Amino acid sequence: MRIVLFWLFIIGLQVVLLNHLDLSAYLIPQVFILLLIKLPLNINKMYQVLIAFGLGLLMDMFTSTPGIHASACLWLIIIRIGLLSGQDLKEHEANKATFSANTAGLAPFMYTTIILVFFYHLYIFWLESIGALNWSLWLTTFIVSSISALTVMGIIEYLSFTNYDE
Amino acid sequence: MHRLLAFIEQNLYFILFAVLQVVCSFLLFGLNPYQQASFTHSAAVVTANSNKLSSDVTGYLDLKNQNIILQNQVANQFQNSSLGTIMYLHDTLKVKDSSRQHLYDLVPAQVVYNSVYKAENVFVINKGTIDGIKKNMGVVSSEGLAGIVLKSNAKYSTVMSLLNTNMKVIPNINGMEYFTELVWDNSSPQTMKIKGINKLEKIEVGDMVQTGQSSLLFPRGIPIGTITKLEQKENSQYFDTELVTTTNFRNLTYVYVVINRDAHLIAPLIEE
Repeated sequence: MRIVLFWLFIIGLQVVLLNHLDLSAYLIPQVFILLLIKLPLNINKMYQVLIAFGLGLLMDMFTSTPGIHASACLWLIIIRIGLLSGQDLKEHEANKATFSANTAGLAPFMYTTIILVFFYHLYIFWLESIGALNWSLWLTTFIVSSISALTVMGIIEYLSFTNYDE
Repeated sequence: MHRLLAFIEQNLYFILFAVLQVVCSFLLFGLNPYQQASFTHSAAVVTANSNKLSSDVTGYLDLKNQNIILQNQVANQFQNSSLGTIMYLHDTLKVKDSSRQHLYDLVPAQVVYNSVYKAENVFVINKGTIDGIKKNMGVVSSEGLAGIVLKSNAKYSTVMSLLNTNMKVIPNINGMEYFTELVWDNSSPQTMKIKGINKLEKIEVGDMVQTGQSSLLFPRGIPIGTITKLEQKENSQYFDTELVTTTNFRNLTYVYVVINRDAHLIAPLIEE
């Protein structure tokens, strides 16, 4: 139940608030990918791919960008599978725990999250401007949005640090 | 087979990922107007490039045929030009009309063997007596004079290259015939020498050396080379002249055999 509420909260935060931030043209943080990053470790890879695709399509519906988030989420989940396969999470997998700082350790969780967040922003901003890439705009948007997304994720992770895995 | 099935089963998620990425591509390039336009543009560029590549490859493979066509065109043009014909007047008094009598034929040929570093260089062409080639016919390249036919069999002919110490050509410089000989002294595959041109003659470095009218083998005005050195020795009244041949013998691939149609009629008159 907590997981469902967590999902609803993050999706709501993204759709209602973060997608409509008018602070800067460069600031488009994609915080909802935290849901994919933190997916429970015991979920079958097939389902992980399907969940990523479904979540991406849902975001595409809200942003009117069919295919962009879905494609990026699929890549993200594949990279996540690759990154997690190099980490020793067997014990947590058996306990049906989610991937978090609490289960994987702060450092592995941080570098996995940073890689995935940076990749995701790089990829979607590239897809959005494909064919007429403005390098400076692309890089600025990617860096500003990634850092702000990581900050928000950090706050969320800190707040749910003790509760989410229960 | 069992292992293959196990492998597929183990990586089924990746196959699903690939399938869903294809679905995403359809959504992305089908429903987003900007990405669709970008994709259409990129596809057009790719198509244009692939068409160009295909055209280049086809063109390259067809180069041999195009060469043969071009050679034939050059030969035809030569035959219809003033170099290949002698012009005479029907009526010397009224000068009403002039007509051209066809004198030279050109037979395109390909060089199948070539030497440039011997004292007596020759090259072999893929045309012989079947094509009307006989001994003592002139051979030119598209750049200038190349040699004289030494002997022929049915399909091939040996040509004495201009780079042959036995080759003697009478030079024509600035429209003036010099009764001395242009010889190759076996020093470099592109330089020849003329001795015996008087210092009083008005020739300069850069002048073109051509064939003159004292030979039945070549039409007048076929380039032989360009004068690159004029040396005046104190004790001599002649220039030591050096020229660079217009024909690059190290890269000789296509030539034309010059057939003088009336040589058999003119030669006996000269000998008499």
